[in-house]
Amino acid sequence: MEFKEVIGRRRSIRYFQSWRPVEREKIQIMLEAARLASCAVNATFMKAIVVFRDDLDRETLDALKTPVSGLNIELAPVHIYVYVDMGAYVGAQARLKKLVDVGALNSTHGWSHKFVDEFVWPNILKPLADNASQAGVAAGAASDAGVATCQAMLAAVDEGLGVCLSAFVAEPVKKVLNPPPNWMPLWVLLVGYPAETWEAGGQRPRPPLEEQFFEGKYGKPFKSDPKVVEQLKAAKMIQAPAPLPWRKEEVKALARMFGLPD
Amino acid sequence: MTALQKPLESHESVQTWFKGLREQSGIEPTDDPARLKLLGEFCEIAGLDPDEIVRACLLVKEGRETKISIKGRRSMAERIMEFQSLGSPQDSRDRAKRGNTIRSFLIHNGIQLQSGVQF
Repeated sequence: MEFKEVIGRRRSIRYFQSWRPVEREKIQIMLEAARLASCAVNATFMKAIVVFRDDLDRETLDALKTPVSGLNIELAPVHIYVYVDMGAYVGAQARLKKLVDVGALNSTHGWSHKFVDEFVWPNILKPLADNASQAGVAAGAASDAGVATCQAMLAAVDEGLGVCLSAFVAEPVKKVLNPPPNWMPLWVLLVGYPAETWEAGGQRPRPPLEEQFFEGKYGKPFKSDPKVVEQLKAAKMIQAPAPLPWRKEEVKALARMFGLPD
Repeated sequence: MTALQKPLESHESVQTWFKGLREQSGIEPTDDPARLKLLGEFCEIAGLDPDEIVRACLLVKEGRETKISIKGRRSMAERIMEFQSLGSPQDSRDRAKRGNTIRSFLIHNGIQLQSGVQF
């Protein structure tokens, strides 16, 4: 699939073919996509534990449910529990120097081993590592984990899968998955083949470009060029908005199929 | 047990339910008389009228935002499961319909709850 179409087709899928397993290879593709994501100071903040639903006994599966995501947990054959590794700053010094060695951080931009050892590590990274629990530090790390998660999601869509990010309750999940203490819970990425059509009722409502982005300074909207919009429609990145006319009928049919309330 | 003092349809919660079914789910609730019949049956068993059923799932404290009561909702979910099990033993669709009718009533009244898959 073309990249722009992948972006355009992604939806939060809430009805999965619960009976259809997801190939392990496709999960690996998602994880590889996450692994290659941009990350500050080359620290891999995103950590994840993949859970194949059918490997769990009923009691364990029930323990992972929340009132809002319980049904999706049940329907999705694969759950990827995403954490932010607040210990990822540790070792960043060596990883940064590796970026110098491989020609990613260059003297053209002022980078050297000495700069990393004598300035970046003691003045920037070590204080961050020592204060990893502070909100600002955690937000930066979580943002990086989010970037990686997004790449996994898009890779999944490219593989014909459906995905949905959900919140999870850390404590019961911790008992089952046993993550290290410095991993901060972020999301569970639910994965499966969509039981709803891939359109899932249409592209979700979003604010206009001008409300979200600014040019030069806050308050001056970044103007949308209609020609670009047409290009993106042709490339299937901008698609028909929700609700598509048949969405209610689709949801009714899904409710009947899965025995859900209307 | 509180006997129903007025027709089911006249309860605010039932009107909210019907409005939700029409506007959100695209369903005309009066097309299937079983909806009201099942709700009436549930009310009778629970000893509560429809508005009381919704209130039993809420935590209302003066001067604070109303919340969904975890205990109240859990208890109601259990009562719904019991009500569901009273359906035809041979017909899982019939049993699911009994439970889902009550769940639908609560959902459209703002009580978020899920049934799980019932093939």
